[in-house]
Amino acid sequence: MFGTQSQKDLSLETPFSRQSIHTRRAKITVKFQDLYGFTVEGNVDDANILNEVREKVRQQGKAWWALEASKGANWYLQTHVSSALKSSLKFSNLVNAITLKKLIRKGIPPVLRPKVWFSLSGAAKKKSTVPDSYYNDLIIAVEGKVTPATKQIDHDLPRTFPGHPWLDTPEGHASLRRVLVGYSFRDSDVGYCQGLNYVAALLLLVMKTEEDAFWMLAVLLENVLVNDCYSNNLSGCHVEQRVFNDLLKKKCPSIYAHLEALEFDVSLVATEWFLCLFSKSLPSETTLRVWDVLFYEGAKVLFNVALAIFKMKEEELLMTQYVGDVINVIQNTTHHLFDPDDLLTVAFDKVGFMTSTNISKERKKQEPAVMAELDQRLRRLNSSNLDVNSGLT
Amino acid sequence: MATIGHNNLNAKLVLLGDMGAGKSSLVLRFVKGQFLEFQESTIGAAFFSQTLAVNDATVKFEIWDTAGQERYHSLAPMYYRGAAAAIIVYDITSADSFTRAKKWVQELQKQGNPNMVMALAGNKADLEEKRKVTAEEARAYAEENGLFFMETSAKTAANVNDVFHEIAKRLPRAQPNQNPAGMVLVDRPAEGGARAASCCS
Repeated sequence: MFGTQSQKDLSLETPFSRQSIHTRRAKITVKFQDLYGFTVEGNVDDANILNEVREKVRQQGKAWWALEASKGANWYLQTHVSSALKSSLKFSNLVNAITLKKLIRKGIPPVLRPKVWFSLSGAAKKKSTVPDSYYNDLIIAVEGKVTPATKQIDHDLPRTFPGHPWLDTPEGHASLRRVLVGYSFRDSDVGYCQGLNYVAALLLLVMKTEEDAFWMLAVLLENVLVNDCYSNNLSGCHVEQRVFNDLLKKKCPSIYAHLEALEFDVSLVATEWFLCLFSKSLPSETTLRVWDVLFYEGAKVLFNVALAIFKMKEEELLMTQYVGDVINVIQNTTHHLFDPDDLLTVAFDKVGFMTSTNISKERKKQEPAVMAELDQRLRRLNSSNLDVNSGLT
Repeated sequence: MATIGHNNLNAKLVLLGDMGAGKSSLVLRFVKGQFLEFQESTIGAAFFSQTLAVNDATVKFEIWDTAGQERYHSLAPMYYRGAAAAIIVYDITSADSFTRAKKWVQELQKQGNPNMVMALAGNKADLEEKRKVTAEEARAYAEENGLFFMETSAKTAANVNDVFHEIAKRLPRAQPNQNPAGMVLVDRPAEGGARAASCCS
């Protein structure tokens, strides 16, 4: 779409417009703590936005309390229309389901998050299928065991959100360690994958108990996300990247064409998004708002959000000339998305409708190619090892 | 481009190596002059750029700092594809990390850009008392395989800038002519004019 000629034309404008944005934004940098204790650096506008977000969170809390008062404490659990309930109940269930979907997209208040996530994600159900003592037994059984996974986990504990007032304390490290080590024994195919440290850390901050955080991690990996996202060669993650690439082509054709001309591969930025579920890229409350929807609507939400990040910055992205510029635009955007609604409005109202069924079909389509590519790579590597070894001897 | 130079070039550089070898710390030291005792673990890869002046030329490094865990290996080709240079990092206190480094060298030799400038960096050189890999062994390996070798310390900054400088110096000679993948000569004047211009400047 953009030939070299038009890129040259744009080159005069780019530094100019970028500078004006920067000078406006970067006048004063302040450090402040966000809702979950993370120290963030931003300008005065960012700090103000964060205060507005705090206020919105309070309002959202009132809306949820009002619903509890009128519909009963666990009203959001009565949303499954297809279950064997009496027909007279079905309509109210449907109403609840619609209300709930809207409400969740507007955000679950932090105080209610542990309870609502635990129920709606399926974690409660998962936990109920095993004896009550499962988690404690698991932790006791694995204590003192050393595996490659535990070594890697120990290595990453102080490297997971360093400086956080709770996560980066002996108590925080110990808690995170138990969850990650416990999970590495529950599913030895996954074991430990870097990235899960950030996900589990954030789950610990949200959930009331360590055990609940463990079950959230389990339901996430076993039910919510695509299979093999974190196991062996991250094949699931490779599939997601390809699906995302195709979605960007479909939903944002001009951005896609421009980035393709720059030889920008979307997975350069999106790998981290899909493996850390945005926890390393977005401000904490924004990440958790994404997770609110993720746990209720499923993994397709990650595509909505990823597409939204590109779509929000269409103009800037079309001005970029180098891969590095693209990355800077994207990172600058994600790091400053302090208002979750800015992102989620685009994600759900502007990128267009996507169903989980369609996404599943897309995944199926991509799987063979990914497997073939990974296989081929392994074979080439093995043969190259032989070649090099024989060359040396 | 804002500045007109005859020897401005962009070079894609990738850092590869075992988890915890100190790839991100080397980059942080080089790009920002900082060191953190605990650097966040890298997921996928992180991107940085930094410009260096070497002799008459300006080299703008586009640096890809990759994740070290073995299963992330399958993502690596995306980062080293078309790279003009690579720094393969190991931790001098870990023999395993040196083994991993050798694997990376093999992979790049077979699948990377054939003109790639490769550096072997034995990091954490400040931890002499915990050393497991001798400098002699690493140097011999590097020489055999056509890499240049330095021991570095992101913590004390020893040799960190030097590795990047040495790469920058070797780049133009490694790829003098037509459009090598990953290294794009910027504002290259028309053929013929180039020589005269660089003589005069």
